[in-house]
Amino acid sequence: MPSRRRALLKVIILGDSGVGKTSLMNQYVNKKFSNQYKATIGADFLTKEVHFEDRLFTLQIWDTAGQERFQSLGVAFYRGADCCVLVYDVNVMKSFDNLNNWREEFLIQASPTDPENFPFVVIGNKTDVDGGNSRVVSEKKARAWCASKGNIPYFETSAKEGTNVEEAFQIIAKNALKNGEEEEIYLPDTIDVGSSSQQRSTGCEC
Amino acid sequence: MIADGVEDEEKWLSAGIAGLQQNAFYMHRALDSNNLKDALKYSAQMLSELRTSRLSPHKYYELYMRAFDELRKLEIFFKEETSRGCSIVELYELVQHAGNILPRLYLLCTVGSVYIKSKEAPAKDVLKDLVEMCRGIQHPLRGLFLRSYLSQVSRDKLPDIGSEYEGDADTVMDAVEFVIQNFTEMNKLWVRMQQQGPAREKEKRGKERSELRDLVGKNLHVLSQIEGVDLEMYKEIVLPRVLEQVVNCKDDLAQYYLMDCIIQVFPDEYHLQTLETLLNACPQLQASVDVKTVLARLMERLSNYAASGAEVLPEFFQVEAFAKLNNAIGKVIEAQENMPIAGVVTLYASLLTFTLQVHPDRLDYVDQILGACVKKLSGREKLDDSKATKQIVALLSAPLEKYKDIDTALKLSNYPRIMEYLSDGTHKEMANVIVQNIMKNKTCISTAEKVDALFELIKGLIRDLDGDSQDELDEDFIEEQNYVARLIQMLHSDDPEEMLKIIQTVRKHILTGGRKRLPYTVPPLIFSSLKLVRRLEGQDESVSGDEASTTPKKIFQLVTQTIEALTSIPVPELALGLYLQCAEAANDCDLEPVAYEFFTQAYILYEEEITDSKTQVTSIHLIIGTLQRMHVFGVENRDALTHKATGYSAKLLKKPDQCRAVYACSHLFWLDDHDSIRDGERVLLCLKRALRIANAVQQMSNATRGSSGSALLFIEILNKYLYFYEKGVSQVTVESIQDLIKLIRNEMQGETSPSDPAADAFLASTLRYIQFQKDKGGAVGDKYKLIIV
Repeated sequence: MPSRRRALLKVIILGDSGVGKTSLMNQYVNKKFSNQYKATIGADFLTKEVHFEDRLFTLQIWDTAGQERFQSLGVAFYRGADCCVLVYDVNVMKSFDNLNNWREEFLIQASPTDPENFPFVVIGNKTDVDGGNSRVVSEKKARAWCASKGNIPYFETSAKEGTNVEEAFQIIAKNALKNGEEEEIYLPDTIDVGSSSQQRSTGCEC
Repeated sequence: MIADGVEDEEKWLSAGIAGLQQNAFYMHRALDSNNLKDALKYSAQMLSELRTSRLSPHKYYELYMRAFDELRKLEIFFKEETSRGCSIVELYELVQHAGNILPRLYLLCTVGSVYIKSKEAPAKDVLKDLVEMCRGIQHPLRGLFLRSYLSQVSRDKLPDIGSEYEGDADTVMDAVEFVIQNFTEMNKLWVRMQQQGPAREKEKRGKERSELRDLVGKNLHVLSQIEGVDLEMYKEIVLPRVLEQVVNCKDDLAQYYLMDCIIQVFPDEYHLQTLETLLNACPQLQASVDVKTVLARLMERLSNYAASGAEVLPEFFQVEAFAKLNNAIGKVIEAQENMPIAGVVTLYASLLTFTLQVHPDRLDYVDQILGACVKKLSGREKLDDSKATKQIVALLSAPLEKYKDIDTALKLSNYPRIMEYLSDGTHKEMANVIVQNIMKNKTCISTAEKVDALFELIKGLIRDLDGDSQDELDEDFIEEQNYVARLIQMLHSDDPEEMLKIIQTVRKHILTGGRKRLPYTVPPLIFSSLKLVRRLEGQDESVSGDEASTTPKKIFQLVTQTIEALTSIPVPELALGLYLQCAEAANDCDLEPVAYEFFTQAYILYEEEITDSKTQVTSIHLIIGTLQRMHVFGVENRDALTHKATGYSAKLLKKPDQCRAVYACSHLFWLDDHDSIRDGERVLLCLKRALRIANAVQQMSNATRGSSGSALLFIEILNKYLYFYEKGVSQVTVESIQDLIKLIRNEMQGETSPSDPAADAFLASTLRYIQFQKDKGGAVGDKYKLIIV
C-alpha cells in the first residue's frame, strides 16, 4: 500500500566541520555551489522530490553543524532517520578518522531497531582540490573501512563540480527506502474518544 | 506542582509522547480517510502537548521533533486536499478555528507553507502574516520553538534570487526582512527568559538558555544562505541590523554567542570588508562578555583564509586588516583592566599568527606585537599561571615555526625581553623549543654576535637560573645537554677569525654552566676548536706574522684552558681523552712542544687522578694508540713518552691486562710508514715480556685453581708475532713462531687444561690464515711457506 507515511524519507548528513555537508546538500537540491566557507548552526533540512520505481518520494535531507558548539540542543532530530550519510574530506585525514565516531554516535543516539543493518552511505568529498594532489586518504583505504563496517556504499564526490553527487544521492534514496519499509506501526493501548491532554497541561491557556 | 527531578521530567516527557502518539494515530486514520475535519481536530489535540511548561529544552525538543514529523504528513495531506479542489485560502482560514493558540499557529505555519507553494499569494505576504501572528506566543520556550518551526518550513520558500518564489522587485529584501524580523523576535524571547522566574534559579536558567541558543543562531545561518545577499547588502543592511540587535539586547550570553555566530556563518571576504563595523561593536558589548575569545576566533578564521592562497592577500592589505585588528585589541585590553594575563597573551598570540600569515615580510609588525606584550608583562611577577605560560610558549614559537630560522627571531628586539618574564621552568621549555627548531631546520649561525644573543636567549639550558640547582642528573637534563652539545657543533663561520670569536663566545657562556653541564658542553667545543685548527693547518705560517690573526697556537692555548675547567669536577678520563685528541691535532700541525705538553698533561692525569683499574686499562690503550700515530717527536721526547707508556702497561693491576698492554706497546717501536721508527729489538722485547706475563698467568692459575687457564693470551701474542714477521722484523724468526705454536698446542691438550671453544676457534682461524698466506704465493707466500705447522 503506498501509504502517505512512506512517501517521506529522512536522511541525516554527518561529518566534521568543513568537509562540505552543506555544499553537498545545496549542490544536490539547488544545483548551486559557493566557495565561501559558512558554518552551519543547529540542524535543518531541505527537501527534494525523487522518482523511484514509478513512485514519488520526498527526500528530507538534514544538514547538521560539524562544530560541536553549534549543536546545543542535542540530536533529537536523528530519530526516525532512514539513512545516514557520513561525509569526510579526502584531503584531511582527521575527518576520515572521525567517521567511526560519527557512525557510533549516530547508532547510540538514533538507536535504530536493527543497528547492524541500518543503511549508511560514506562520501569522500572535495576530490577536485588541487587536481587531487593534496589528497591524503586513498580510495582503497576508504573502501576498506566501508567494507569492514558491513559493506557501506562509498562515493567520491566534488560538490564544487557536481561530480558524482546525483549518483550518491540516488543510492542514498534507494537505501533509505529499503530501510523505511520495515518501520514499526503504532497502535494505541486504548481507544479513547476524548483527549486527556487538556487536563495534563499546565501553564497558561494559550 | 513543580517538577524538580530528572525522573519527574522523564515521566512528563513519556506522558507527552503518549498523548502525542495517540492523537497522531487518530490523525493518521483521518488522513487515510480524507477526513479534513477530524484531521484538524486530532492534529490540534496532538499539538496541545507542546503547551507544556514542565520540560527542559532538551526534552521539549524531543517532543517537538515528534510533533514535527507528524506535521510533515499533515502538510502532504494539505497539499493533496488543495489538488482535490479544496481552496488553500479557505484552509488557511479554517485552521484558525483551533481552540488554543499554540496548536493554531503550528497549523497555520503548516498550511502557510503549502500556501506559498501554491503561489496563490506572494510568498512575502504569507511570510509577513505568519511572522506577525507568531507574536501571539510570548512564553519564551514555546515561542522559540514555534518560531524555529516557522523558520524551518519557510526555509526553502524564501523569495530570494533564483528561487521560484522570487517576486517582481526587491524580493531578496523581503526574504532578508522576514528572517531578520524572526531573528529579532526570537532574540527578545531568549533574552527575556533570563529575567523570568525566581532569582535562585538563575544558574539553571542560564543553562537552559544556553541549550536554546542554536534556535536563535540558526536565523543567522539562514541569512548567510540566502541567495542574493551580496557584500553590498551585507554591509549596508544585514550586518548593521544584526549588530544593532546584538548590542542593544545588553545580554552577555546572547552577545557572546551571537558575535561568534556572525563570525562563523558569514564568509571571510565579508568580514574583511566590514572589519571596522564588526570591531567597533566589540567595545559596545557588556563588560562581562568574553571579547578576547570572540576576537581570537575572528583572527583564527581570517588567518586560515589568508593561508588558503596568496591570491587573497591583497584583500587584507587593501583594508589594512592588521592595523584595524591591532587597534581593536589594544582598545579591548585597555578597556578591560582586569583581564587576566593569559587572556592578553591569547589575544596577542592570535594577532601574531594572523600577522605571520598575512604579512610574513613585516618583521616590524611582529616585533610591535611582542613589544605590546612586554608592556603588559612589565611590572609583574614572573609568570607561573599555566594557562598564560602555554599561551606565551605558543606566542614565542609562532615566529620560529613560520620563519624556520632563529636568525629572524634574533632580529626581534622584544623577543628576549619576553623571555625575561618566563618562569625558570618555562624559560627552559622555550629554550628547548628554540634549540630543536635550529636542529630541525639545520640553521647555520655564523657570527659571534648572534651566538652571543642566542646563548643569552637559551640561558636556561646553559646555566642554573636562580634557585634551581638540583644535583641529580635526570634523563631530561641529559637530553637537554646533548641538544646543547649538538648546537655547539652546528655553529660555523667560514672566516677563521670569526670562528675563533664564536668559540670564545661559546666558551664564555658554557664556563658558567657548572660541574653538571661542563662534561657535556666542553667536548663539543674542543672538537669544534680542533676542527678550526685543522682548517688552518693547510695555511702557511706566513699569515701568522700578524699578531691578531688566528693561529693554531692561540687556539691550543684556549683549548688547554678550557680542558682545565674540567679538573675541578673531576672527570679525569674525559680530560685525558681530550688532551690526547689535542696532541694528535698538534702533531698534525708539526708543533712538537705543544704535542708534548698535551701528552704530559694526559700522563699527569693518568698518574694522579685515574685510580680505577678498569679506567686505567682503557686509558692506557688510548695513550698507546695515540702515541703510535705521533710522528712529530724527536728521539728524546719519543723515548721519554714510550718509556713511560710501557712502564704504565707493566704496572696494571691484573696480569692479563698487563700482558695485553705490553704487547700493544710493541707497536710503538715499529711504524710501517716511518723509517726512523723501526726498532726490531724492542719489538721483540715487548713480545717476550708479554709471553713471560702470560706464562705467569698460567702458573698462577695452576697454583690457585689446580688447572691451567685459557691459552687465549698466547694465541693473541702469536698473532702479534705473525704480524711483525710479515712486516719483516728480522728479530721475529720462523723458529720462534713454530715454538710458540707448539707451546699453545701443549697448553691446550694438557690434562689440566680446560676446554675453551673461543681459544679453539681463534687458533683454528689463525692457522687458517697462515695457510691462506701460503697459498697466496709470491713474496708473502714464500715467507709463510717457511713456517711449518
